Amino acid sequence: MKMNEVIVSMENIVKTFPGVKALDHVRFELRSGEVMALLGENGAGKSTLMKILSGVYTRDGGTMSIFGKEYGDLTPKMAQEAGVAIIHQELNMCRHLSVTENMFLGREKRNGIILSNREMENEARKILEELKIDLDPGQVVGELPVSKQQMVEIAKALSTNARILIMDEPTSALTAREIEDLFRIIRDLKSKGCGIVYISHRLEELEHIVDRVTVMRDGQYITTMNFADTTLDEIIANMVGREIKEKFPRVECKKGKKILEVRGLNAGRMVRDVSFDLYEGEIVGFAGLMGAGRTETTRAIFGVDPKESGQILLNGQEVQIRKPSDAIRAGIVLAPEDRKKDGLCTKLSIRQNIALPNLDLLCDKAGVVSRRKETEMCDQAVKNLKIKTPNVEINADNLSGGNQQKVVVGKWLARDSKVVIFDEPTRGIDVAAKVEIYNLMNMLKAEGIGVMFVSSEMPEVMGIADRIIVMCDGRITGELMASEATQNEILTLATRFEKKIADKETVGGGES
Amino acid sequence: MNQNKQGVIKRILSIRGMGGALTAFAGLIVIYIAFGIINPKVFAGQNVMNLLRSMSKYLIIGIGQSYVLITGNIDLSIGSVVGMSAMISATLMCLGVNPVLAVLITLACCMVVGVINGFLVGKCKLPPFIATLGTMFVARGIAYMVNGNRNTDAIASGIGKEGGDTFQNVFYYGKTLGIYNTFWIAILLFVIFFFLLSKTRTGRHIYAIGSNVEAAKLSGVNVVATTTKTYLVSAFCSFVVGLILCGQAGMGNMEAGNMYEMYAVAAGVIGGISPLGGTGLLLGTLAGASVWQTLENGLNMIGAQVGIQRLVIGIIVVFAVLLDVVFRKGVFGKRRSA
Repeated sequence: MKMNEVIVSMENIVKTFPGVKALDHVRFELRSGEVMALLGENGAGKSTLMKILSGVYTRDGGTMSIFGKEYGDLTPKMAQEAGVAIIHQELNMCRHLSVTENMFLGREKRNGIILSNREMENEARKILEELKIDLDPGQVVGELPVSKQQMVEIAKALSTNARILIMDEPTSALTAREIEDLFRIIRDLKSKGCGIVYISHRLEELEHIVDRVTVMRDGQYITTMNFADTTLDEIIANMVGREIKEKFPRVECKKGKKILEVRGLNAGRMVRDVSFDLYEGEIVGFAGLMGAGRTETTRAIFGVDPKESGQILLNGQEVQIRKPSDAIRAGIVLAPEDRKKDGLCTKLSIRQNIALPNLDLLCDKAGVVSRRKETEMCDQAVKNLKIKTPNVEINADNLSGGNQQKVVVGKWLARDSKVVIFDEPTRGIDVAAKVEIYNLMNMLKAEGIGVMFVSSEMPEVMGIADRIIVMCDGRITGELMASEATQNEILTLATRFEKKIADKETVGGGES
Repeated sequence: MNQNKQGVIKRILSIRGMGGALTAFAGLIVIYIAFGIINPKVFAGQNVMNLLRSMSKYLIIGIGQSYVLITGNIDLSIGSVVGMSAMISATLMCLGVNPVLAVLITLACCMVVGVINGFLVGKCKLPPFIATLGTMFVARGIAYMVNGNRNTDAIASGIGKEGGDTFQNVFYYGKTLGIYNTFWIAILLFVIFFFLLSKTRTGRHIYAIGSNVEAAKLSGVNVVATTTKTYLVSAFCSFVVGLILCGQAGMGNMEAGNMYEMYAVAAGVIGGISPLGGTGLLLGTLAGASVWQTLENGLNMIGAQVGIQRLVIGIIVVFAVLLDVVFRKGVFGKRRSA
C-alpha cells in the first residue's frame, strides 16, 4: 500500500439528533501510514463522526469517500468490507461467547452451512499470536478481565484486515504494559500503510504514536495540525476554545483532625489487612495498577461487599457498616467507578437522582415526598456544583460525563456527609470537565470533608492528592506525601507483588 | 486411549450450558428412580411408551421457546398457536379438504403469527412480553372463530374414517419400530433444530443477540432477521404440536394448547436455558421436558392430586432458575476492579 495517500475524505458532514446538531459541516481527512488523533471535549462530535465513517450512523448531509470511492449510506457491514474497523468506546462483546466467536461474529467462516469452528479458532490463535496477546481463543469473554476484553476487541478489529482502524478511547481500560503492547501494534500497522484514527482524552499518550491531530469543538471542525509543529497547550486551547490555566488546581488547607480510620480491613482476596487514616482538609489518593484492590477497598468500606474483619472509626467512634445504608447514615459516601451502571439511575431525572438517597430527609411522617424540599435541595445542588443542565427534570442519561459525575456527588452533598470516596471520577471525561471535578474535590477538602480518591492516572493522583497510598494485589504497599513522590516510586510500590512462585498467574494477570 | 477418553469428557463438560443440561438429566434420573421405587409400574413398558409420547409435545414446544429465550426474548403466543393449528387443520378436514393441503394451509397461518411476532419484537422493538401477549390473545381468538366458537366435529366426518384414522395414526396413535410416531417426530425436530442452533451461522447469531444485542448489531449481525427466525421456529413447533393434539383428539378443540407457552418456558428453564438470554443448550430442553413429564407421570402413578402436581412443578421451576442465578454469579459475578 502506498504511504501518505489520502484514504478517507469527509466533507461538510452534517448530523442532527433530535434537538442537537451533533455535526455541523465537519471535514476530516486520513492518509495511509499515519496515526491521526481526533481530539475534542466530550460532546464535540468525535465519536459521532467516526460512527458515520464506520456505518453505525447515517449522515444527514455531506460527502464521504474511502480509498477514493464515494459512499452513500453505509451499514456496519459495508464499512467493514470497505476496510474500516472501529473499536468502540464501550466494550461491545458478547460475554457468553468465546474469544474466537466474538472475533468472527457477523462474518463466520463456513463450510457449506456448517460453521468451521476449528478453522476460525486456528485463525484467531494466529492473530492473537501475531499481536502477542496471551489469550486462549476458546475462553469465554465474560470470564476475562476488562483489559483483556479490550484486547479481544482490538484483535477482532484487526482480524477483519482493516486498512482504516478507528480506536475510540482504547487505553482507558488497559494497564501500562498493555498500552505499550497496543502502541507497538499501532506502529506496526502504520508501517504497513494502514490509516489509524485515535481518539483519546489522555493527551500525554499522543506523543508516543500520533502524526497529526484534528481538533473538534461543539460539533464543528476546528483545525488539523502536524503533531510535531504544535504543543499540548495549543491543542488544549483549541479543544476548549480558551486556555485552561491549571491542569491540576491545588488548594492548600491546614490538616485538621483525624476523621476516618480504617483498621485491619479484610474482605476477600483483593482487600487484605488494609489500614489507613484520613484527616480533615486533605485528599488521599489511592494509586495502583488495575486489579490492585482499590475498588474492592472502597466497596468494603461503603458496605457493598461483606467484610471479614476490621474496624472503621469515624471521628474516633467505631461504626458498624454492614450495608450501604449504614455507611450513608454514618456519613461515608461513595461515588462509584461506573457512573452509568452504579452511580445513577440513568432513566430517572436529575431531581429524582439527587433525592433518591435523601428521601429520609425529604419525606414527612407519612412517607410523602415534599416536592418543595426536593426542589430546594436540587436547585441548591445544581447551583453549588455548577451542573450544566436546562432544568432538573431531564434524564441523567442526557448529561455529559462530567455533569453526571456532579450529580452523583450532588446527591451525597445534599446530606451531611463527612467522608466522600471517589473511584476513578475522571475516567472518560474531557479535560475541562476533569478540572471541574478537581475543583469539586478541592472544595470538599476546604470544607473539611475527608476525600478519598482512587485513580489509575498517575499524574492526576500526584497533582491532586496530598497524600498517596499505593496498593498492590489487595495490600497497601506504601504511603507517600504527594509533594515528595515520583512516578517511579509509585510504580515500584504498585508492582510490589508478594513473591510466590505458585502465584505466578496473579502476578501476570494482576487484574481479576 | 484412556487419556483420549478424558479429553473427550473434558471437552463435553466445557461446552457452555452443558452444566445446566447435565444437572437436569441427573435430576431426571433421580426423580424417575424415586417414583419407580414407590410404584414399580412406573418402569412398565406401556408407561415408558406413554411417557415418551407425552414428553414429546413438551419437547417440541420447548425447542421453539428455547430458540426465543436464548435471544433473551419470550414467546407467549405458543399455546394459542397450538390451538390455532389444531382448530384450523381440524376445521378444514371436517370440510373435506385433503389432509395434506389442510396441513399446508395451517402451516401458512401459523407462520404468519411467527412473522408478526418477529416484526413486532425485532423491527418495532416492542417488549417481547407485550408483543406476544397481544398475539397470544389474537391467535386464541382466531382458534375460537375458525369454527364459529365451537369445537369441530370428528375429522373423520369430512375426510372419511380411513383418512381420519391415518391422520390420527401418523401424529399420535401409530408406532414405528415399536415407539409412538409422536416421539419420532419430536426427535426428528430435535435433531434438526439442535443442528441449526449449534452448527450454523444463524445459531451463533441467536446466542450473540441474547448475549449482547448491541455488539451483535455492530458486528454486522442482522438482528431483525435473526429475531424473526426464532419466532418462526417457535411458530413452526407450535404448529406441529397443534397437529399432534388434533391427531390425539381426532377433532379440533378450541382450548387446545392452553398454557403451553408456560410449559415450554418451564421445560427450557429446568434444562438450564437462561431466560436472560445468551446461554443454554437444546439438550437441556430435552432434559427439562423429560423432567416435567416424568414428574407429572410419576405423581399421577402414585396417586397425587392435580393440586400437588402443580405445586411440585412450580417449586422445581423456581429451584432450577435459582440454580441458574447461583451459577451465573459464580461464573460472571467477579467484579471489575481498579
